[in-house]
Amino acid sequence: MFDLLYKELRLAAHPSLYVFMLMGALLLVPAYPYGFVFFFGTLGIFQTFCFGRETGDVCYTALLPVRKRDVVKGKCLLAVFAQLGQLALSIPFALLRTALLSDGNPAGIEANAAYYGFGLAIYGLFNLVFFAQFYRTAYKSGAAFLAALFPTAFGIALMETLVHLPGLAWLDGTSAEALVRQLPVLAAGAAIYLGGTLWAYATGVRRFEQVNL
Amino acid sequence: MNALAVDGLTKTYPSFTLDHMSFTLGRGRIMGLIGKNGAGKSTTIKSILHLVSPDSGHVEVLGMDMADQEAACKQAMGVVLGGAGFYQHKKLSAITAVTSRFYRNWDRAAYERYLREFELDPGKQVRELSTGMQVKYQLALALSHQAELLILDEPTSGLDPVSRDELLELFRALAAGGERSILFSTHITSDLDRCADDITYIKDGRVLASGEKGAFLDAFQHLRTDDEPGPLRLEDIMVRTERGRFHV
Repeated sequence: MFDLLYKELRLAAHPSLYVFMLMGALLLVPAYPYGFVFFFGTLGIFQTFCFGRETGDVCYTALLPVRKRDVVKGKCLLAVFAQLGQLALSIPFALLRTALLSDGNPAGIEANAAYYGFGLAIYGLFNLVFFAQFYRTAYKSGAAFLAALFPTAFGIALMETLVHLPGLAWLDGTSAEALVRQLPVLAAGAAIYLGGTLWAYATGVRRFEQVNL
Repeated sequence: MNALAVDGLTKTYPSFTLDHMSFTLGRGRIMGLIGKNGAGKSTTIKSILHLVSPDSGHVEVLGMDMADQEAACKQAMGVVLGGAGFYQHKKLSAITAVTSRFYRNWDRAAYERYLREFELDPGKQVRELSTGMQVKYQLALALSHQAELLILDEPTSGLDPVSRDELLELFRALAAGGERSILFSTHITSDLDRCADDITYIKDGRVLASGEKGAFLDAFQHLRTDDEPGPLRLEDIMVRTERGRFHV
């Protein structure tokens, strides 16, 4: 498994993937719709799949001494690495923001536990649609990305809208009390991410086994 | 035990069918897979390698079932796909660093020896290599993990006569020990005249004939006309079997 991830990082990942992993730094912008950080995260994955088509990555991987299904596993591992890595790298910026800019984010949700819960859920839904669509052909990355943009955009819009509803103002809080109240959102997001990504892998494998390279 | 046994391999596309392909390759032997463009050579090779998902049939590599033991079979195989240069903007050293991690029997000394013999610079990017040098790099990778079965799709296409000659000599040397077997597809029949032990001839997705080269040639001598002095060569056999007529 580590060898597959090493191969993805060394040969397959598009350089922009690493740049988009650093987009959590945007949490330091005083007024900004932080949902865009997740959108940038999906762009890095998309670029890498386009890059893979140009470099013959799928065929190279399928010829290595691995099962054909491991081609899908490698890409899932890369997506998990990039998405969780991006969220982990953003945490220091979120903490710094809360310490330095205590007036809140007028443009949308605060960088709090609910934000990370929504982010995980959005990435889980993105993976589910993107992998399932891409591995129908193993080359139509544009169509797969367009299809996956719908749940991504819906998730971001929902997150940014909910915090403006008076009854859900606690979703926007950064106090200790608000953070505790947001923990179920974080847990639900983690569950959706795990379930969505495992489902994405299973569907991707089933479809890729039928693809003729 | 055969190096490779293909049994009833079938794959149907909308406009082409690979129809119950069956042949065997013994250990230490070189088999040429011939047929005109579009006959099904590459589809056969891709089906063997599981790049294409066959509708039916099965493949055994060194006694192992490819469907059940795909990773183990691939450990024992080295593959060169002509014209398939991976990661054009990566250095050879980067691709080798990744590839070598996947093989249990990776032999670093052998790899460095092949780099020297093929005059390959590991600091170069793939795109900086000519077609022939890209084939040689793929061969160096395939040979450096002690592959017992080499599967080569059109490895001599695009090579100059000197490189082709060197490559064919290398094939003979590799198979001479009796441990390595080679299956290679080509439409350059003179390659097979010089180097193959066995021939499998594919026509319209079917095996037209498969066997030891001498017996194979004998089986087609009925195509020879009375005014021809010598026996037919592979190229004559292929041309007479395949040639169509244009009606313009």
